[in-house]
Amino acid sequence: MSDNALITRRRFFAATAAGAGVLIAARLAHAQEGEGQQEPPNTGASNTVMESDKFKSVTLPPKGPAVMDQAKRDELEHHIHCQCGCNLDVYTCRTTDFSCQVSPAMHRDVMALVAGGYSAPEIIAAFKNVYGDRVLMAPPSSGFDLAAWITPFVALSAGIALVLVVLRRLRGPALAPAIAPVVADATPAEQARLDALVRNDDQ
Amino acid sequence: MILIGELSLWVALLMATWGTTVGFAGGYYKRPELIASAERASYATFGFLLLAALGLWTALLHSDFSFRYVASYTSANLPSIYKVTAFWAGQSGSLLLWAFILSAYSAIAVWTNRTRNRELMPYVTATLSAITLFFVMTLCFGSNPYERLDWIPPDGSGLNPQLQNPGMAIHPPNLYLGYIGTAIPFAFAIAALVTRRLDAGWLAAVRRWTLISWFFNTTGIILGMWWAYVELGWGGYWAWDPVENASFLPWLVNTAFLHSIMVQEKRGMLRKWNVTLVVSAFLLSILGTFITRSGIISSVHSFAQSNVGYWFLGFLVLAIALTAYLVGTRLNDLEAKAELESLVSREASFLFNNLLLVGIAFAVLWGTLFPILSEAVTNNKITVGPPFFNKVNVPLGLALLALTGIGPLIAWRRASAENLKRQFTGPLLTGITAGAALFALGMRDFGALVAYTLCGFVSGTIIQEFWKGVGARRRMYGENAFMALVRLVARNRRRYGGYIVHVGIVILFAAFAGLAFKEEFDVTLKGGETYEAVDPYGNKWRFVSQGVSRYDELNRQTTAVLLDSYRNGKKVGVIKTEKRQYTDSRGVPTFQPATEVGIMEGIREDVYVVLAGVIGEDTAEMRITFNPLVWWVWYGGLIMAIGGLIVMWPQAERRRAQAGYSTVLQPAEQEA
Repeated sequence: MSDNALITRRRFFAATAAGAGVLIAARLAHAQEGEGQQEPPNTGASNTVMESDKFKSVTLPPKGPAVMDQAKRDELEHHIHCQCGCNLDVYTCRTTDFSCQVSPAMHRDVMALVAGGYSAPEIIAAFKNVYGDRVLMAPPSSGFDLAAWITPFVALSAGIALVLVVLRRLRGPALAPAIAPVVADATPAEQARLDALVRNDDQ
Repeated sequence: MILIGELSLWVALLMATWGTTVGFAGGYYKRPELIASAERASYATFGFLLLAALGLWTALLHSDFSFRYVASYTSANLPSIYKVTAFWAGQSGSLLLWAFILSAYSAIAVWTNRTRNRELMPYVTATLSAITLFFVMTLCFGSNPYERLDWIPPDGSGLNPQLQNPGMAIHPPNLYLGYIGTAIPFAFAIAALVTRRLDAGWLAAVRRWTLISWFFNTTGIILGMWWAYVELGWGGYWAWDPVENASFLPWLVNTAFLHSIMVQEKRGMLRKWNVTLVVSAFLLSILGTFITRSGIISSVHSFAQSNVGYWFLGFLVLAIALTAYLVGTRLNDLEAKAELESLVSREASFLFNNLLLVGIAFAVLWGTLFPILSEAVTNNKITVGPPFFNKVNVPLGLALLALTGIGPLIAWRRASAENLKRQFTGPLLTGITAGAALFALGMRDFGALVAYTLCGFVSGTIIQEFWKGVGARRRMYGENAFMALVRLVARNRRRYGGYIVHVGIVILFAAFAGLAFKEEFDVTLKGGETYEAVDPYGNKWRFVSQGVSRYDELNRQTTAVLLDSYRNGKKVGVIKTEKRQYTDSRGVPTFQPATEVGIMEGIREDVYVVLAGVIGEDTAEMRITFNPLVWWVWYGGLIMAIGGLIVMWPQAERRRAQAGYSTVLQPAEQEA
């Protein structure tokens, strides 16, 4: 790349690093806005207080008989993120946390929707409409969030491709050995026996 | 003692400042007296931080509630063992532990290198002092454990019930020993880069330290998994929580380095890569600490938010900038001394093993930080939970498991068709047989079948390696099989210790795959009522509630349910599950009620019972889970740790040299 290019590799990396730094600093500043308010430490599932901004009712009019059994309903609840502040899904939180009031309330909504004849994708969509994407346990595979799914594989593929390209370019005739055995403090006879011992499985 | 400890922290600040300054100056001006002074400062820093730590422990054990830290994390009725472990329950105490362990490591590194690596040691000492200085500064000015309250409360707030567990007594120190262990290789890498002495010398110095870091990181992670399983009550041992991920990242990178260092030792290749891995392991440790302490990402392990996050962010940026500059300006010194001759060679398989390990590390880091990125770009909050990490990492993990078997079987430089055939036939047959047998027995989960087939294959490679080695010794020396096995391992601890680590890995993967068959049941039982369920093996279980009982213990009020448990009609035990309301010495509740899981452990499966709630006087809501093969996670981890100890054991280098494995670089490279 020429020095006159508008974006050199160095500038690109510098700009990327600066951007990432600004993003993290902004997020950090946002995260620490509440500092000084003596918030209790986040202890996960126990950190549960019913607040209006955490639980929002998800209701739809019944449309028919239930199409899901309890096992499928439980499986569905593994895909819905409890909004109490923990990192658990609704099923795990409501069956683990003695004091959480959010996951039982979300569970009641799930049960009402199941009884109303809604399928798992419809129930997920209903929760998404009310809470947004944060109610899913994994990022949606659309829009910008698709990057979450594909980037690791793209990066790994790029790494493998890069290694293969570099190796193809670099591979030449076999070089002289870059290494030589050390002089071990063993007698020649012992060394010969040890060499014979390892020769077969350390080629 | 407390006052001495408090003052010692400030003296340690001065000592670390001095060590940093004269270390770099001594190295730059090549002044032996300055270098010696920096090394003495390193010992002094350790001494003063030891006093600071003893001071805090004294305050904790004496329940001196005039200190905010003591009042925040203990109470008068807290058992003494947990007063000791409360040292690392909070932000400032755990930072002091960090600084103390780092100073101890630094003193050991300086002492053990007092006659070796003398060109590197000024910069090693100075770098370690600089890192210690950062932590002591953070302690003194950001989060001081000796901060006093304006008034003395009658009792403290008590320790979070989830931390009142034996696992928490040893898990955090282990993890810190692992995290902080990355600082020594980092310091050697910085010294090698500064002095441009990038031959094999610095690698030999860092290999054992990396192993120490890896060993403690491994045991710390496994103990953390055990703690999560028995204490948190959600039914698993790994939730891909950001802080769990943060502990996993240095482990992955250290593991990659421990493989790629062999390629540099044997073939003089991957020099830039190895420097990058050593530096990355340390930076990821700091990143993990930043994640835990900044509040930037929600986690069950997070400390209370404080401005300490800014300190770590600043340190991280500075360390990245410094190392990027040093590596960037020394690229020519890091050119490989040999080149890859064939893609079908052990070095190539190690290269792909490294790519996968680093790829998994990237995927974990990416998933951990993606919510921040997504919110910044789309202003939309998302969750990246276990479904994401499992989907992305399971295929990568299985590929890595396959390479665990492939790598050791392929010859260095270039494998011949004959070599491949001879080495792979047995293990491949073992793997295919294992997979086919499980399929015939009715296993239909695709992921689990692939995992168990690969476990069979890797087990086959390990058995084959031991079989050949033992056979060779028996032929050569006429030893019996047991003695041949013992001496085989003892004479080449690095190689066969590594295989034992692989055994642990295989067991862990087999146990992880068992999760595919986990069964959970919601149960509501009154006293005397019965619940019946079938486990993944087809056994019929019957659980009979003995009812709900309530009683007081030392520092808690307990609500417990006892379940008589029968398997195929035969009583196999009683499972007790509890909810505990912890109280201070005046009987005032201190925390939200905590779960105490009831676990009936077994080789084939655990029966895991969580008391989710009580209705009225005698009706209990519970979750009963059949968790297959969990027992093997703990023992797989134990075997990995034993393998790591064997690899680390002193004299391994001499033995290895005698066995013809150790190599030295040619004079041409040494002069480079």
